[in-house]
Amino acid sequence: MNNLTSQQRKFVYLGAILLLLIPIIGLGMPADGTPNSGGSIARLRQQLDLGESDLGDLDPSGAAMNLALLGLRGVAANILWMQAEEQKNHKDWAELRITTDSIIRLQPHFVKVWEYNGWNLAYNVSAEWDAVPDRYFWVKEGGKFLQRGVKRNQRSPDLRWHVGRVYGPKIGLSDEARFFRRYFYQDPDPQFNKSADPQFNENGEDNYLVAKRWFAEANKAEEQTRQTIMDRSIFRSYPARSQLDYAAVLYKYGFNEEYDREVGDRKLNDEEAKALELRVREKLKEQTRQAWIVGLEDWTKKYGQELFSVEYLPGVIVQMRLEMAEDELKSLGKTPEGIAQLRRAVDQYQKMNNYRYWRTRALCESEPDTAEAHWSLFAAGEEYRKQNTAEARKLAEQSMALFEKTLEKYPELRDEDNFVEQAVKSVLIWNYVLRLDGEKVPEMYPLKSLWDDKQAAVPEIERRFERDSRGLN
Amino acid sequence: MNFDSVPFPLDSSFLLWLIVVGSATAIVLVVSLLATIASVGANGPVVFANELGAMVGDLFSLSPRRVFALAQLTFREAYRRKALMVFVVFAILLMFAGWFLTSSNLQPEFQVKVYVSFVLRAISWLVLPVVLLLACWGIPEDIKLRSMHTVVTKPARRLELVLGRMLGYSFIGLAVLAVMGVVGWGWIKRQLPEAAKSQLICRQPIHGELSFRDREGNDKDERGERLKAGINVGDVWMFHSFIEGATKARAIWTFTGVGAHVLDGEGNLMLENRFQAFRSHKGDMKRTIYFQYIFFNPETGTRAPFELKTVEENRGRTDRIPRKFSSIGTGSGITDRKSYDIIDDFVTKDGTLTVEVACIDPGQYLGMARPDLFVRTADLPFESGYFKAVACIGMMLLVVIFMGVAVSTFVKGPVATFLVFCVVIVSYSARDFMGTIVGDEIALQKAAQYSGHQDKVKLEGGGVLESIYRILWHMNPTTELPEGPATTVMKTIDSGMVNFLWLVYRILPNFDYFTESLQYVANGFDVRFDSCVLGCIMITLAYFGPCVLLGYFALRIRELEAK
Repeated sequence: MNNLTSQQRKFVYLGAILLLLIPIIGLGMPADGTPNSGGSIARLRQQLDLGESDLGDLDPSGAAMNLALLGLRGVAANILWMQAEEQKNHKDWAELRITTDSIIRLQPHFVKVWEYNGWNLAYNVSAEWDAVPDRYFWVKEGGKFLQRGVKRNQRSPDLRWHVGRVYGPKIGLSDEARFFRRYFYQDPDPQFNKSADPQFNENGEDNYLVAKRWFAEANKAEEQTRQTIMDRSIFRSYPARSQLDYAAVLYKYGFNEEYDREVGDRKLNDEEAKALELRVREKLKEQTRQAWIVGLEDWTKKYGQELFSVEYLPGVIVQMRLEMAEDELKSLGKTPEGIAQLRRAVDQYQKMNNYRYWRTRALCESEPDTAEAHWSLFAAGEEYRKQNTAEARKLAEQSMALFEKTLEKYPELRDEDNFVEQAVKSVLIWNYVLRLDGEKVPEMYPLKSLWDDKQAAVPEIERRFERDSRGLN
Repeated sequence: MNFDSVPFPLDSSFLLWLIVVGSATAIVLVVSLLATIASVGANGPVVFANELGAMVGDLFSLSPRRVFALAQLTFREAYRRKALMVFVVFAILLMFAGWFLTSSNLQPEFQVKVYVSFVLRAISWLVLPVVLLLACWGIPEDIKLRSMHTVVTKPARRLELVLGRMLGYSFIGLAVLAVMGVVGWGWIKRQLPEAAKSQLICRQPIHGELSFRDREGNDKDERGERLKAGINVGDVWMFHSFIEGATKARAIWTFTGVGAHVLDGEGNLMLENRFQAFRSHKGDMKRTIYFQYIFFNPETGTRAPFELKTVEENRGRTDRIPRKFSSIGTGSGITDRKSYDIIDDFVTKDGTLTVEVACIDPGQYLGMARPDLFVRTADLPFESGYFKAVACIGMMLLVVIFMGVAVSTFVKGPVATFLVFCVVIVSYSARDFMGTIVGDEIALQKAAQYSGHQDKVKLEGGGVLESIYRILWHMNPTTELPEGPATTVMKTIDSGMVNFLWLVYRILPNFDYFTESLQYVANGFDVRFDSCVLGCIMITLAYFGPCVLLGYFALRIRELEAK
């Protein structure tokens, strides 16, 4: 079978080893850090940005853990996922937090793992706590966790968007928004001494403005790497939407937040308090209007001018904008049929993104009269609560007149929930004051037709006003 | 705590042990007898009886000196095999533990949990493989190297050899564990963030029995049994159940052994709870949900509501109830305000205290399980519970050593290692699953907590053959099988297999008691003797005898020349 001696065989083995070393060295030689250095695999890794350091920050503990597992990373990750699920079901939050950290050490570049666990902490775990400061703690944990994910996956637009969502809607729109927004400036954790948690709100900004920055970063990353969350035209609207949300939320919580910030630990007498209230209202009136102006610009001049590829005819892809001039439509559509198709595409996209609503709202809200109407309404509510009926009535009437004027200018707002709520609320307060003063509601008054139309919505608006008055919303 | 600490059932466990050991011994003896008859023919039973007699004789001529000498030898051998290198791994782990134990923002009690569980788990998972390998390789190596020959030709008996091995490995395992335990304790004390150090305590709770009253005030269900659960608010795991606020629903705890001796130095009764809250509407977000303790004396019918408290969900709160207190009316329908003495007015002659808990907020729910309210007596130092937990880990090691040595007497090192490793893994991870198949009461109750109802789950679909039949014929598990001889045969074979599985299930060690000890300390409780330490001791003893006998029996009938 084999006539080779033992020594000859050894030489053959040696030759084969040396022969195999050539392709191994060619393929696997490590890079020295300079471009196009190293073997084929190293060069390919550089070209495709697949190296650990290209994907994000390096984590020595995760690398150590992976090495120690001797290739059993998948098994360990599965076990940890099962444990995490059980710990969540058993409400074992301390262990869950640690298991989550272990999972991401094993799967640091698996974006969905970050997304899932970040959501879990910020939304599911926080909801399991009854005390609002505790809930806020877990929202922060989720947000910080996702930010760590961004550091480890620097090219992921999805993770940045998720961070933006925690800062934006989670803090600003949840049931606990009134508290969360306050905690965002003044953390309830005593170690932060009534200031913001620097790891979560470094510059003490508004949550929506921080969200706007994260969404803008997500958009920037999306220019390089495709996002996988939603239609591109919706994804890219988020920075502008955050600005609009910021402007809207100032009406809702701005006064109390700003007032309390100004007061701090001081004790004010009635006169000082009244003067401060007026000053804060005036400040916010302008601040809100400016926020809407920026929002309008972001919405129409930045987001509205973004190019989106749309298949407006079968097989024909054209780049369109949500804010498209007539002549631009004509030049792109060319034929009457093409123009009609393109117009329909723009219309559909505008509807999908609620584009026209936000444009109208921002336009309307950035007008001085609308700002005046909102803040007069707010002041009317405050005066009504203090039972200053004369002042409340004056402010409510002023607010009603201004809302009526706005409605005449923007009749499409008649069916817009926020506007209707505000306008109806002004009539509601006015009605309350008349009742307190023992007067009858006159035949004609501003916003009468809206009031009559929206009677079905009045009980709910009344209930919300009640909760607001008791500081429950 | 998310487990219920129930006293170890000594009587029923002993009976069960007798049945399992008896059945297993009977199987081994019958198989051995048949094997002897097959090999030596008609003289088989005589040879077998002689052999058994000699074995019994060996049992009565044990020499502790020889056993100890063999243990010493085993200890030295393990030392030479660099078993103590495990210390290096432990040291490295502790040095870099900070990398893995982040989240210093967590609440202090959570940090204690994280640090304590890490240390105790690290210790058990490091020492366990070491003793497993040592125990499984010792005797096979002796046989392979023929050093066994020199021992068994001396007056040392094979039983002494097995005992000496077990003792030697136990010494080294426990010595390693002791050192690690002390180092781990020092590490926790040193590394734990300052704010969390005050939480390093061992609470001594007096747990009560829990029953419920529903929203209409009924305390019995339609079968006339006491309500053992409230409402499920949608939790996947139904360990906690809930009572509705501003209704007649109550959670009722009955504590026994209560008297003036349980009051603290200032004469307060310390009630600690870990209630949960569930909101069905937003409610008042400025505060957490209100609840109220109502003290009740069933002998006199006196009922005294205590002042309202707010839930501290997932943290727990300790309420000091002064011995003399005034009742308040809210939420109980009682409007007068009277002074009471908690011991004189509410503790019955037999030392029972009944505490009802009501949720006050309408439309909101308060959740609880039996261990969620307890009378807290004077705390013990952390060391008390910690070293008990270490001792429980030690007993777990002993069980693994006993099994390892016993198995290594009849199979080679790698097979023994694999077998014991599998037994440990299956015992840890799949024992409950097996329990549901063989109809174990506790396993079924645990499974029921995930099934959406409080009763025990019923295993549907039958055994292996029945399941195969149902799959092939697309029959769902609730459909009755057609009557006939085939069904009878199938069910008989299935029940035989389930019975065999029952024996396997019972032979697998129940590690729950050992792991529970860790849970106690990590959650800030003393390790209870009656429900945990006793269980560990009993399980260790339960494995000691049968493992020694199995090892001895296997070594005695084994041909030592066969490598």
